[in-house]
Amino acid sequence: MLENEEIEEPTIKPVKEIFQTFFKSYSAVTGLVILIGIAVMGFIGPLFYPTDPFDMVWMPFSPPGADGFLLGTDYLGRDILSQIINGARVSIAIGFSAALVSCFIGVGIGSFAGFYGGWVEETLMRITEFFQVLPTLLFAMVIVALFGSSVLSITLAIGAVSWASVARITRSEFLRIKELDFVLASRSSGSNNMALIFRVILPNAAAPIIVQSALLVGAAITFEAGLAFLGLSDPNVISWGQVIGSNRVYILDATYTVTFPGIAIFITVLAISLVGDGLNDALNPKLRSR
Amino acid sequence: MNKHFLKTLLLTATLIFTSLGVSIAEPKKGGTLIAAVGNSPRHLNPAVQSGIVTGFPGAQLFATPIRYDNNWEPQPYLAESWEISDGGKTVRLNLVKDAVFHDGVPIKSSDVKFSLETIKKNHPFKTMFAPVVSVETPDEHTAILKLSSPHPALMLAMSSQLMAIIPEHVYGDGQDPKTHPQNSENVVGSGPFKLVEFKSGEHIILERFDDFFIDGRPYLDKMVLKIIKDPATRTIGLENGEIDFYAFENVARNIVRLKKNDNLTVTPDGYAAIGPIDWLAFNTKTGKTADVNVRRAIAYAIDRNFILKAIMLGVADEARTGIHPGSPFYEPNVEPYNLDIDKANKILDDAGYKKGSDGMRFGLTVDFGWPGLKPNAEYTKAALKKIGIDVTVRASADFPTWAKTVSNHNFDLTWDTVFNWGDPVIGVHRTYQTSNIKKGVIWSNTQQYSNPKVDAIMEKAGVENDMDKRKALYSELQKMLANDLPVYWTNTLPYHTIYSKKVGNPPMGIWATSSPMDMTYIKD
Repeated sequence: MLENEEIEEPTIKPVKEIFQTFFKSYSAVTGLVILIGIAVMGFIGPLFYPTDPFDMVWMPFSPPGADGFLLGTDYLGRDILSQIINGARVSIAIGFSAALVSCFIGVGIGSFAGFYGGWVEETLMRITEFFQVLPTLLFAMVIVALFGSSVLSITLAIGAVSWASVARITRSEFLRIKELDFVLASRSSGSNNMALIFRVILPNAAAPIIVQSALLVGAAITFEAGLAFLGLSDPNVISWGQVIGSNRVYILDATYTVTFPGIAIFITVLAISLVGDGLNDALNPKLRSR
Repeated sequence: MNKHFLKTLLLTATLIFTSLGVSIAEPKKGGTLIAAVGNSPRHLNPAVQSGIVTGFPGAQLFATPIRYDNNWEPQPYLAESWEISDGGKTVRLNLVKDAVFHDGVPIKSSDVKFSLETIKKNHPFKTMFAPVVSVETPDEHTAILKLSSPHPALMLAMSSQLMAIIPEHVYGDGQDPKTHPQNSENVVGSGPFKLVEFKSGEHIILERFDDFFIDGRPYLDKMVLKIIKDPATRTIGLENGEIDFYAFENVARNIVRLKKNDNLTVTPDGYAAIGPIDWLAFNTKTGKTADVNVRRAIAYAIDRNFILKAIMLGVADEARTGIHPGSPFYEPNVEPYNLDIDKANKILDDAGYKKGSDGMRFGLTVDFGWPGLKPNAEYTKAALKKIGIDVTVRASADFPTWAKTVSNHNFDLTWDTVFNWGDPVIGVHRTYQTSNIKKGVIWSNTQQYSNPKVDAIMEKAGVENDMDKRKALYSELQKMLANDLPVYWTNTLPYHTIYSKKVGNPPMGIWATSSPMDMTYIKD
């Protein structure tokens, strides 16, 4: 592909500068550190704390700190600390893969709508609007109810209901960028549509999409917790939401059984938001001068 | 001092006081009872709808021919007397003379005939009136039930919410009784209370029916049944006095908590005929659980005491068989399958299920019928790991999904709560009869268990009028079932009634709130 050297691609900042801006932000770094910490806990933690989260190890409802169980035991006498350590893995995995799914659908639909315009755009955006006005939690419940509560179906369900915002952002970016000079140049030099969409415009539209997707990860984790709270979780896999969901009937008396996983979700989602904000600052070209 | 002695003492005391003319806690007229209901009923007509949620308002709106006292003795209700003759094949009901429906139309024997026929045709409990061939109505106040065979379960089936007398001139208008519009609004009933308003998911408001056929009853002016699905919300409502009365509480943690409250009375009494039992059902036809050795090993590996103490927090009772421990037919002397991991392992070893390199013999799935049984399913996973069975817990999205899975026999193990519904013929036989293996029907013989000897005993016991002979037959049945183990019974569902101190005479019979609350009153 021929590139016209005289036309600058205006919206991509140099990678070095992105990193600099990101790491200059105190809150973004804090978020990233926490997130890495939680991921390490989830993936390596079980090696150092080998208690199986499904094993009944002690009396039910042993309060935190008592009998050597830092966070206490749940209604079957299972170790809540172990559930939180092991739950991190699943919660984060579901969060990221669900965000990936919605990113995939959203970018696909948004880019085609924005690029082609006309009836393609009309159709795709009506579909997007349809998904946007659906009550997301209810729709996800329907999907999980239809396909059973396994990790896969839950991930797909969350992904399938939360892609509308990504699609809209992608479309608006495409509408803006496709009229810019470098795109016209690329088109006139013979690039076909697919190359224009995926090699020319998409990289330049990446910044807001990445930020939106980062925020979707946090949303997906809370979403999973919401589904689990309603009892729609995979009972063979420990996730934080599942711990809250199965302990919620004991909330009046054994508050700690829902508090700790709740705090874990809160911290994780907060960290993801901080990282997302940091990314936004770092990637947004309009903030370059700051 | 046992409970029986206390009851006797109380009875004697009551007799003495009444004979002396001293009034003890004279029921007071008037007042409103604020009660909670745990779910929204589909509609309010118990003639075509089973379940305790319809039963509560249903038994207030509709009267039945007879009612039961606390000692399993039938008492007159809409039928002021009855005669059983012809070896139990003819039952004559003499109706109360001046009874009227809520619209003022007299209750006639033809309504009894119509109600029974409607129930027989539409109610899910097919065994209740199966032997009733015809109902004769020689005059307006006499109904004669003709049976093809003796049917001792009939008396219980004519009580509670099971034989609601519905007006023929309303529900016999040709519309399908199951979807009749007047099942939910403008209900025309025969019971002590009439319907003011039913808002699905919100409340059911009932009002005293002034022309009720028992003079001076009911005592209450009004009943407000608030539909509150969340157990924690109900508990807080009871604690802060917003709710006076709640029956069918089964969340152990809440029961324990409310028991500590001095303003509330918490009692497990009143559920003997409802007879709810938690059990682990096996698929006896396909998969590894078709082998009785596997079923026995699983039963030995599951600690009933753990369920009673840890999951049920000591508020539930042990249930060793499919008949509720509160029933006169309960036989406790069966193999109890107390915890014995070594024995369980040995049974599996002997049966040829060798442990693999990972310590596991084979895998099974376990389902659960409603969220309250999720701890049991999770416990099963942990418990069976010890004998090398790798259990996958399957969560159904909702009740219909589970019911579809289990009723189509696509399961290995499933936790479930099943009700006795008074007589074993109504609620017990259905689980074990070969003839009741009905694909797609939940709470039929979904275990697909079939034993001709068991079928024969049930057939005999169902028509045996002599109580002692009947007891002996059911005793034998329970022993045989415990041996074949199509189901591993663990405990009673800890149904409790919770009421504030201002509630007098709450329903403490055998049918809990599925019985008329015409004697309940509010103290000052």
